[in-house]
Amino acid sequence: MTPFVPPPGLSCGGSCHEDKARTPTMIPGKYRTNPGRITQSNFELRLSKDSSFHNRLLQHDIEKNYSSRQGDGRVISPSPRNKPSFVPSTTNMTDLCGLELKSGANSLSAFGDSSIQTPTKSRIRQGCHSAGPNVSGDHVYLGSSSMPAFPVLHRSNEEKILYSDRLTLERQKLTVCPVIDGEEHLRLLNFQHNFITRIQNISNLQNLIFLDLYDNQIEEISGLSTLRSLRVLLLGKNRIKKISNLDNLKSLDVLDLHGNQISKIENVSHLCDLRVLNLARNFLNDVDDLNGLSSLTELNLRHNQITSVRDVDNLPCLQRLFLSYNSISCFEDILCLADSTSLSDITLDGNPIAQESWYKHTILQHMMQLRQLDMKRITEEERRMASIVARKEEEKKRESHKQTLIKEKKRLTICNVARKWDMQQNRVAGGPSSSQDGKDSDVPSQDACQMNGSGTCVYPEETGSLDPVITTALQGLAVIENHLVEVDGDTLFLYGSGALESLDRNWSVQTAGLVTTVSFTFIEFDEIVQVLPKLKIKFPNSLHLKFKETNLVMLQQFNALAQLRRIDQLTIDPQGNPVVNFTLWKYYVLFRLSHFSMQKINGTEVTQNDMIMAERLFGILAHVASSELPQYRLLSLLGEVRKKQFRYLLEGKGKKSGGVSEEGNDSKRLCGENTNRATLNYTTRDFYTEKLEEIKEKKKFCKTYIQDLVKEAAEINMKNESLQKLWPQLFIELVRDAVVEIRNKNSYMKLCLQRITDTK
Amino acid sequence: MLSPDRLALPDYEYLAQRHVLTYMEDAVSQLLENREDITQYGIARFFTEYFNSVCQGTHILFREFSFIQATPHNRASFLRAFWRCFRTVGKNGDLLTMKEYHCLLQLLCPDFPLELTQKAARIVLMDDAMDCLMSFSDFLFAFQIQFYYSEFLESVAAIYQDLLTGKNPNTVIVPTSSSGQHRQRPALSETSALEGVEASLFYQCLENLCDRHKYSCPPPALVKEVLSNVQRLTFYGFLVALSKHHGINQALGALPDKGDLMHDPAMDEELERLVVRSRLHRTSQKHRSHQAVAFGFRRSDKVEALESLPSTSTQMPYLCRESRE
Repeated sequence: MTPFVPPPGLSCGGSCHEDKARTPTMIPGKYRTNPGRITQSNFELRLSKDSSFHNRLLQHDIEKNYSSRQGDGRVISPSPRNKPSFVPSTTNMTDLCGLELKSGANSLSAFGDSSIQTPTKSRIRQGCHSAGPNVSGDHVYLGSSSMPAFPVLHRSNEEKILYSDRLTLERQKLTVCPVIDGEEHLRLLNFQHNFITRIQNISNLQNLIFLDLYDNQIEEISGLSTLRSLRVLLLGKNRIKKISNLDNLKSLDVLDLHGNQISKIENVSHLCDLRVLNLARNFLNDVDDLNGLSSLTELNLRHNQITSVRDVDNLPCLQRLFLSYNSISCFEDILCLADSTSLSDITLDGNPIAQESWYKHTILQHMMQLRQLDMKRITEEERRMASIVARKEEEKKRESHKQTLIKEKKRLTICNVARKWDMQQNRVAGGPSSSQDGKDSDVPSQDACQMNGSGTCVYPEETGSLDPVITTALQGLAVIENHLVEVDGDTLFLYGSGALESLDRNWSVQTAGLVTTVSFTFIEFDEIVQVLPKLKIKFPNSLHLKFKETNLVMLQQFNALAQLRRIDQLTIDPQGNPVVNFTLWKYYVLFRLSHFSMQKINGTEVTQNDMIMAERLFGILAHVASSELPQYRLLSLLGEVRKKQFRYLLEGKGKKSGGVSEEGNDSKRLCGENTNRATLNYTTRDFYTEKLEEIKEKKKFCKTYIQDLVKEAAEINMKNESLQKLWPQLFIELVRDAVVEIRNKNSYMKLCLQRITDTK
Repeated sequence: MLSPDRLALPDYEYLAQRHVLTYMEDAVSQLLENREDITQYGIARFFTEYFNSVCQGTHILFREFSFIQATPHNRASFLRAFWRCFRTVGKNGDLLTMKEYHCLLQLLCPDFPLELTQKAARIVLMDDAMDCLMSFSDFLFAFQIQFYYSEFLESVAAIYQDLLTGKNPNTVIVPTSSSGQHRQRPALSETSALEGVEASLFYQCLENLCDRHKYSCPPPALVKEVLSNVQRLTFYGFLVALSKHHGINQALGALPDKGDLMHDPAMDEELERLVVRSRLHRTSQKHRSHQAVAFGFRRSDKVEALESLPSTSTQMPYLCRESRE
């Protein structure tokens, strides 16, 4: 049987001897832990000092050789090298004890571990005589005494003295635990490779430290409640379904439950001294709730079906964690590993995650404290590489994240703008319909005023959130909540009325030069009209205008486009532009903008016939407008256009010297435009309302003025007429008076003479 | 101008009734508006031009609606201008929607109210088919009636409603209503199950209305003629009949007869000239634009022909630069 080296405190024969022998075990590299051979002291030694080698054995060699299944399947078992020694021994069924002993001896010698005083084979054999019920030895007698069902074990006194603290009943074909009498001092008990189904009859062995029940048929952990000193419990390769009844085993150091049918880690939270827990080859799915295992340094979970690991960061001493051959596929599922400060050794091979290209560097990046991964020492170089790769990955992720964020933000902004637009449209649509009920022209104009008023209510908040940062780069993107400005290639996209303010910005010459297409969406056409002069200046190469959801409803609105420098293409999306539903709109555009010689309208090539048709339809209008208007009207209509342009120029350009040349171009352009068409201009609703107000004022004044004038004239006329009527009579009267006066010649002469003398 | 009935009214009222005041006011306000330009070429000249254009009927082009509808003359002038400008649209055979006609109207009068166009369309179309297409002549004649007689038609509509509900509108206007009219009331309510109102009664009411109506209304004799052909009629039936009656069209005098509607040889001639010119213009422009693109300027070097207006060309710098290619 395997030797047991008692701890110093134990008073047993040959203890000093073994003590002496134990000293070499202090060298970790040399020491091989074999559960069968562990003494309490070197057990402690191993755990405290620790040999990583040992652990490697544990999870690596042992498990790997699981299939070959000798004693090495256990947690703490001899290395495979011991196997050959086992194999022959098993053949000898009669010498079970001896075989075991031999194996123990062999393994020890193989490892060169001198700490274990190998009891001689023969002695052990003698001592272990008894294991099976049928077996009767000289020294050990197994008989049925008090309890008829259980065999009773007796050892000879000699045996007892020699191996007072250990008993090995290996491969004895035991189906039940024998009653062990008079062996209360036993510290090590081995039932390996039997057929025991239930742990029984050992409750009296209260000094037991080491209990090995490897390879039996135990279905439930039980009968251990009195074994308070138990430190090593080996239950590997049994049929246990549930971890239970360990409540009193507070000193447990090693718990081996590998090769069972356990599906949940439970009832272990009180094992605060537990250092090694082996749950390999069980049915675990998740690792969770590991609280209380404050001394756990090694956790073996190989060959389960684990998909996620949590709570590992609650194990302050955990150094080695073996997760090979599980179902972990995602780093997020084992993220808690990164939070553990004590972990130095991890295996994850045989998991889906280990196949991933990012596996190694991700693990290394997240677990800086790691020294070994999948049994390989991590070099500095690897760590550096990992961090570089991780950083790159991170950057890439951030970049793509940023991209998606921008896209999402753009989408949201456009949605927001669209919603606002819809709201605004509903309100505006409500305006004119109510004005239609008005009977004279005043009412619509007032209504229009209200509309404008409500419109301006909306805009201030939009302008308030205007992003001051302007990216003039080619891919410049300024995302604001209520409007969106985007330059994509040669196209400038403007969403929402607030976006029009971007035309005030200082666009780089390059960007501005590249933009040949300007797209307006969700902007009132009347607002666009007001910035057209700016557009002309800022984006001189814009040849293609696109309008979508801009509320183009009237043909006359196209007049406004005539003031641009040049348009080659015009795209009016039917969405939100009712004017496109008209039969004549294309011809009107061609007619009014004929000076641009447009190439395409809504993607359709303009033909010579189209131009002629346009002229036929609207030529007379232009002719009438230009030739039949009184001169002063012509002048004022043209003047308006010019005045407006001047005003915009002043607004847009400020005091820049360039204004002069621009003005020059303007007048030239005006010349180019067909004169008879220039009178067909468009005044935005706001301006028109303003103008109507002005006219009303003037009319009022003129009315009173004319009224006064006419009244005065009528009065004069009346007086004149009265005078005319009175005059003949008056004249007659005068004549008659004169005639009466001179009728008497003499008296008249006298009178005259008298007057003369009087004057003298 | 000096008609004998001028003596029947005080001068001021007479001028007002003849809308002379309207034009005088408008002339002055135009003068005020274009003060700077006009002072350059003389106030006398301005007044001459103004009243000339009033006589020619071109004074309403591109003016505000309140002015256009201010006098019957203005309305007739507007109708004529509309016909002249967009006759080609009708000639082309295009059928347009009410909205599109409205747009055309707005090309001549930017603030033309949609309501009027809608009413005109309602004469042509059924109530539930307002989005249907109309021919140019149908719309134009309906529009003529609606626009020219809009106040009259409103009163007619009120009378018609009263008749429909069995109330005699004349009872309100003429206190001493005859007992005969009272007797007709039950008959009316009976027949209201049929469509419309009785023509003769309707005419009585309208005659009454024409007498006291201060706005322009169609000659009563013609209205009688329209109504004498039928026993009963609906309001829109009446309007349709009015709009199709060539006598009323003649009396109004703005538009030619329906048969001659597409006929305007002078303008056609002018149009041919324009088309030819535009063809030349386009080709020449194409040619030039190819050259000009390289320099970034377009036709900057072209010597522009002077405007052919001897009296004003020197004072008008704007017009001087414009070409008549």
